[in-house]
Amino acid sequence: MINMFKHIWLKELREQLYTWKGTLWLVISSLLFSLISYLLLTDKELSLLDQTEMMWMISKVIIGIGLLIISIDASSIVTNEFEKETAESLFLSPIGIKDFVSGKMFASLTLWLLIFVVSIPYIFVTSSGTKLLFPSLFYVFLLGTLGVLGFIMLIFAISLLFRSSKNTLTTSLIIILALAIPSLFPTTLKNNSFSAALGKVNPIENIFSSLDNVLVDYHASLFQNWQFIIPLMLFCLIALMFLLYAAKNFKKAGVVKK
Amino acid sequence: MINVKRIFMIGMVSSPLILSIVYAQTESQSLTLSILSEKTLSGTAGNFVTVNAQVTNSGPNSINDITTYISLVDESNKMPVDLEDWSAEKGLFIGTIDSGKTLPLSWKVHFVKAGKYSLIIIAETAGQEIPQVSSIVHFTVKPKINLNPGQVLPIALGMPIAVLFIMLLLNYRRDLHKAE
Repeated sequence: MINMFKHIWLKELREQLYTWKGTLWLVISSLLFSLISYLLLTDKELSLLDQTEMMWMISKVIIGIGLLIISIDASSIVTNEFEKETAESLFLSPIGIKDFVSGKMFASLTLWLLIFVVSIPYIFVTSSGTKLLFPSLFYVFLLGTLGVLGFIMLIFAISLLFRSSKNTLTTSLIIILALAIPSLFPTTLKNNSFSAALGKVNPIENIFSSLDNVLVDYHASLFQNWQFIIPLMLFCLIALMFLLYAAKNFKKAGVVKK
Repeated sequence: MINVKRIFMIGMVSSPLILSIVYAQTESQSLTLSILSEKTLSGTAGNFVTVNAQVTNSGPNSINDITTYISLVDESNKMPVDLEDWSAEKGLFIGTIDSGKTLPLSWKVHFVKAGKYSLIIIAETAGQEIPQVSSIVHFTVKPKINLNPGQVLPIALGMPIAVLFIMLLLNYRRDLHKAE
């Protein structure tokens, strides 16, 4: 079973790393991080920002770009097998749906890990002179991984239900935009109880609030960030349950023709 | 000819109005605002400073519905500053101050932009036309330059080139593998 999962994972990694399309995401993310960090540290107006706010901004950009790239990747990684009709040969071999999904999930998580590795020098340069380098690295990795994992599972569940990359991508982008837009609102618009309740369950808002708590308010211990990490873990759990439901109801009929 | 009767009538009509204005002014003046912080504060953009003050009711009666707030003026262009990023609490509602009582006030001010500023505290009482104003506190905010082109430039230019190089290397390896 481990071999089957490993087989799918390595197959996806090879496809991602040995093709221009796969690695182009890393170049694009690197260019975007370069642009933002260069503007923050060379533009006179932006350089007047408090350094912790700069770090908060670059951390949000890293996780935001990571979420977007992984969502686009995850929207096609499963559905491509159905659209290119390669799923048939996969399912005729002794590969179960669990191996198939977990292999693809680890491939998407590896892409996030690569994006995080690319972002490390930018975090290093923006936090230069502060004591926040390690908390910043740790929380960008932890919050980003939890957020990305939740969204991958959610998108895979949608992929198994839709079996179409166009529909999956559109739905995933709508979900991400619906969750990301309220988190960009100023705090004055979030004072009413409805907005506050929505903010508590919104995974993207929890990620940004936790980064704010660590980098701007200097509350760097895990104990001081549980109120943001627990909702993120719950989001992952709900996404996992949705994925298990979609995997359980997944029928090979239509994929395997005979 | 002076019309004594008309003057008497005008006096009768206007005296309650004059008395109420005088009373209002007296009530407002019995409220004193004093700043406890230094008269001149300085710091670097990005720093926080706390402005401490106190409001005292030196009159014989209690005063109701008192609201205090700060006003910040940019001295170089003589324009009031939007306090959106400067202070989390622009106004403080005090409510009632009993006769002879003093209440402390404090504002946490975030130095956002370099320049010279003046700050005053204003107290308004419900129904009073003339607010009470404190003395002026002067701010000198020095710029904090986070410009760091020496460190960011090699990273901003080097990282995309490094990633592109690794990408080319992987593709070269793949082509080599295919050729074999």
